Amino acid sequence: MLKRKFIILVVVCLFLIASSITYAESAEKSGTITIWSWDPNFNIPIMKEAAERYTKDNPKVTFEIVDLAKADVEQKLHINLASGVTGGLPDIALIEDYNAQKYLQSYPGSFADLTNKIKYSDFANYKASLMTLEGKVYGVPFDSGVSGLFYRTDYIEKAGYKSEDLNNITWDKFIEIGKTVKEKTGKSMIGFDLNDGGIMRIMMQSAGKWYFDDKGNVNLLNNDALKEAVKIYKAFADSGIIKQTNGWSEWVAAFNNGDVATVVTGVWIIGSVKADKASAGKWKVAATPRLNIDGAVNASNLGGSSWYVLENSKNRDLAIDFLNKIYAGDIDFYQKILTDRGAVGTYIPAQSSAVYSSEDAFFSGQKVYTDFSGWIKAIPAINYGVYTYEADAAIFSVMPEVYSGKISIEDALKKAEEQLKNQIKK
Amino acid sequence: MKKHYSINRILVYVFLASMFIVSVFPFYWMVAGMTNTAVEVIKGKMTFGNQTLSNITTLFTTYNMVRILLNSLKITVFTVLGTLIVSSMAAYGFQTYASPAREKAYSIIILFMMVPFIALMIPLFRLIVKMHLLNTHIGLVLTSISSVFIIFFFRQSFKAFPYEIIQAARVDGAGEFRIFFSIFIPSMKSTYAAAAIYSFMSSWNAYLWPLIILQTDKQKTVTLMISSMSSAYFPEYGVIMTAIVIATLPIIIVFFGFQKYFVQGMLGSSLKQ
Repeated sequence: MLKRKFIILVVVCLFLIASSITYAESAEKSGTITIWSWDPNFNIPIMKEAAERYTKDNPKVTFEIVDLAKADVEQKLHINLASGVTGGLPDIALIEDYNAQKYLQSYPGSFADLTNKIKYSDFANYKASLMTLEGKVYGVPFDSGVSGLFYRTDYIEKAGYKSEDLNNITWDKFIEIGKTVKEKTGKSMIGFDLNDGGIMRIMMQSAGKWYFDDKGNVNLLNNDALKEAVKIYKAFADSGIIKQTNGWSEWVAAFNNGDVATVVTGVWIIGSVKADKASAGKWKVAATPRLNIDGAVNASNLGGSSWYVLENSKNRDLAIDFLNKIYAGDIDFYQKILTDRGAVGTYIPAQSSAVYSSEDAFFSGQKVYTDFSGWIKAIPAINYGVYTYEADAAIFSVMPEVYSGKISIEDALKKAEEQLKNQIKK
Repeated sequence: MKKHYSINRILVYVFLASMFIVSVFPFYWMVAGMTNTAVEVIKGKMTFGNQTLSNITTLFTTYNMVRILLNSLKITVFTVLGTLIVSSMAAYGFQTYASPAREKAYSIIILFMMVPFIALMIPLFRLIVKMHLLNTHIGLVLTSISSVFIIFFFRQSFKAFPYEIIQAARVDGAGEFRIFFSIFIPSMKSTYAAAAIYSFMSSWNAYLWPLIILQTDKQKTVTLMISSMSSAYFPEYGVIMTAIVIATLPIIIVFFGFQKYFVQGMLGSSLKQ
């Protein structure tokens, strides 16, 4: 009898405790959100800023923002997801856009479906489409890699051109200008790594194409945009207008040293361009050159990444609420990270704010962020597929033979396509 | 004749000097980079600048450098101690109590040297999670202390140790642990020093496994921190170089401090036979 009473007492107590816990939760959110991210000068301080803003309204929520290398975040995610144990996973992880589909398709059910939780119409169109799988949208869009043509006004003017001459040009025109620049100033038009696919990806996306078609099938051989891009790469190699660089540091050194007249890349390079204070006031930004084919526009993208919530995380709903409140709702936050870190978000409502339309003395008073915001909206939306980097590697394994003229572009693409299909078994 | 000799000499010295430059230059550049700003490093400046203090300040204020160094030190010290004790005992056992069955077991253990770590990673990771040792230093140390290479290395050196001494000690009534700790270890000092250096370096430089096991910034090691610093739209090369210099110092100190023993230990087994 006593035993039974005791059990009843315990059950009642448990019920009371449980209900009081639920009550506390509904009144005030609490928990620790763990986030894996990279870049101690960019994503990490930006996330810390976001966390600070969220904890102002939700003082019981704490954050554990882990600073890892990009490759390390990827490695850790793969190990954790492949091992099937969820204990080691964070609540939120940063994933590079090119790799998003790889994670979504390789580990189905591992990421939270945010389709009806985030208002995607507030974000740049291309961003939401790359995180969509079978009609469901995962992830919260973050920074943009919207590309631009950064150029040195002094070199361009010395070569007899005006700023208008660089607006909305094609790559063919770019090479033509490059030849004059080389002739008149002795400077190379662009620092260029002949073994790097960055600009090739910029070229393809400006035409709304990729290494893969909409369904994710390999699309190298019959890809007009890729064919044209390879042609321009070869023209770069032949024309002598480029300063050949090898790897990131040499490429940055080329424009920091004033050896080249232009840089074509994502907006995130602004920090590195501005790091060379001696060239302040000599830079401007024009729209990205486009390919000379139908449907190509003067806007593209290179890189960029987004936040993903893990489906089985302990604080999933809290994490979603956090991302929703800050990354999909706080315009002031986007102004702050643009001022402090030069981070261009893909949240459209923020782009009409005051900070985005401020003039930048470094760029001769140009309202660079207004221009970039305009280009963001024009970036063609495409499906990056699962194997962007594998395709990149396949293309660049045949490029040396293209440069030397050993094989034609068609043959090279055919070879690369076979190699890629072999590798990914598709 | 004499002239011929000196030309040879000069060639040898030229060769040695060029090799010296090739091996020392990266260290020079590392130290020079520590004194310059990121832009200067990128521009390829090779001379010393005056940014050392600001690089060090940035490093210690932006990152929890002291804690991270202590983490690395703690993990390394415990791993080295554990490895030395466990692996040398294993080698001692294999050598002193040799039997055909034990030789087979030994061969199987040696075979594990051939298995790449990548293949073991996921099962090992599951194990660590199940044992609730994820994100703990003890989980990292426990999985690192049994090193097949060190067992092999100890056994090779132990072969030089005269078995008669062990027998004599037994006759005098010493137990096995007494023999091991009072006779064996003291006379094998240089072997232990060599193993300690090897184990110190591999533990201090360990990257992949700590990356998988450690989850938070608080638990991080120096290698993980340096790796995370370089992954950026705008890497702070000056600060990174400073961190690398600091991370290299312990290795240099340990290596040069024990260098004498290291060479002795590596040669030991062949010379004494």
